Amino acid sequence: MLETIAASRCPRCQMVVAPPASYCPHHPVLMTPDSLPGIGEIVSFTTLHTPPAGFKSPLHLAIVELDGGARFVCHGSDVKGLKVGAAVAIEAIDNIYYFSNLGTLDRARLFWRRAGRAGDRVNAIARSLAKRMWKGKHRAAS
Amino acid sequence: MPDVFVAGAGMTRVGRRSEPLPELMADAAHAALAEAGLDVPDAIVVATMNPEEFIGDGNFASNVATQMGFADVPTLRVETATSSGAAAFYTGFAQVAAGLRHTVLVVGGEKMTHLTTPKVSELIGRSIDPYERAYGATMPALAGLVTRALMTRGAANAREIAQVAVKNHANAARNPLAHFQDAVTLEQVLESRMVADPLRLLHCCPISDGAAAVVVSAEPAHVRVAGIGHGTDTLAMRHRRELTSFGATRMAAREAYGMARFGPERIDVAEVHDAFAPFELISLEDLGLVPPGKAGRATLDGETALDGRLPINPSGGLKARGHPLAATGLAQIVECVWQLTGRAHGRQVAGARRALAHSIGGLATNNWVTLLESRG
Repeated sequence: MLETIAASRCPRCQMVVAPPASYCPHHPVLMTPDSLPGIGEIVSFTTLHTPPAGFKSPLHLAIVELDGGARFVCHGSDVKGLKVGAAVAIEAIDNIYYFSNLGTLDRARLFWRRAGRAGDRVNAIARSLAKRMWKGKHRAAS
Repeated sequence: MPDVFVAGAGMTRVGRRSEPLPELMADAAHAALAEAGLDVPDAIVVATMNPEEFIGDGNFASNVATQMGFADVPTLRVETATSSGAAAFYTGFAQVAAGLRHTVLVVGGEKMTHLTTPKVSELIGRSIDPYERAYGATMPALAGLVTRALMTRGAANAREIAQVAVKNHANAARNPLAHFQDAVTLEQVLESRMVADPLRLLHCCPISDGAAAVVVSAEPAHVRVAGIGHGTDTLAMRHRRELTSFGATRMAAREAYGMARFGPERIDVAEVHDAFAPFELISLEDLGLVPPGKAGRATLDGETALDGRLPINPSGGLKARGHPLAATGLAQIVECVWQLTGRAHGRQVAGARRALAHSIGGLATNNWVTLLESRG
């Protein structure tokens, strides 16, 4: 299955934020718990060459607009060939979220999943890719 | 609302300074007071962003007041991250405009160069949303995200962004108080070390020490405060729909122009918050000083150079005058006052009558626009 990302929605303006917040950033009302699928589009990304203590260089960082509207900050495995607007899958490894670029095949599978067909393999691909490239590699031992 | 004037302005040389922060702030304060012909102000507003962590001192309003001989003058401290100096100016302005005080000394300063760059970066980064910080977001990282979005949108190219740094270094070379005294070429900027792709080292402001001060007064003086505006936005970048325009600047500009009853077309010179070179381009458009999508071209064409149509950052800006955090908002106002009174020696904008100072707090979460007008 695709990763599910915890979020919250403002009952007044319908703004969705992830991770969830108690109050809407723009209204003094309590937000309602919600969740979003871990797929979306790259809004922007950068590579930090001198990251802060506790992170290894180079550190890839992105803002992803999730399907469902919330923007999400996460790490990335690789930014080679990555473009703003690219479709990505998000997944958590040890409670840290990473994006991985989806290829044409993955996107076709996503299309089928959205069309109601089983799309488990998309997530399996994303998961194995992200795990292979990332596990323990870009976070310093804590 | 009664008129409020700037009666005096002073600042220290910006750069690596050996003096303790209270001493730097006292130097700036006494210079401003001397110019105002004032022995003791009715009140003091102090701006420092984070003296608790940068130098290990708290209760900083009393600390500074006592160390400059004003233990008996009511003093308070104001903080809005990197725009604290502008916020302090607003506070002093408000005290005078409300008739609560006749004269207020506003003084801001920061001392950072004694710490390592990663430590300074971490301390400044505390003004970032905690969740984003947990993912390694620093100010340059967030600025890198903004810059990539700006370039992808086609709103600015690499040469246009680099030209901001080239122009501001050239201006700083004419300002004896600036941190950098050397010019840089477009090639040097474009080839400098990558910090947060696509942001390079020479796009970023340096780590500086320094202090700046002004005296605001109900007593008529050469420079009048025409308008002040305050704008805010979400702490988290992910909570914004727009990365390439700062809502907090647009909100502050609207309020300031409304109070002044004139618009951006009347501005002769401006000091704009260019902590990162692309921010100058974004801000020029947010402030309405340049039509949307034209800031890069205007910069490359020399419109914002010292001899251009609308000189921007004649002091060298944060990029090259330096960015001693809470001093910066006031240093911008000091430069504007000097421009309006014909004392910006070596970099004077001829006939400047109206000036704008624009200060960004955090990653554009708490911004200020201050408009000053010459009465001469």
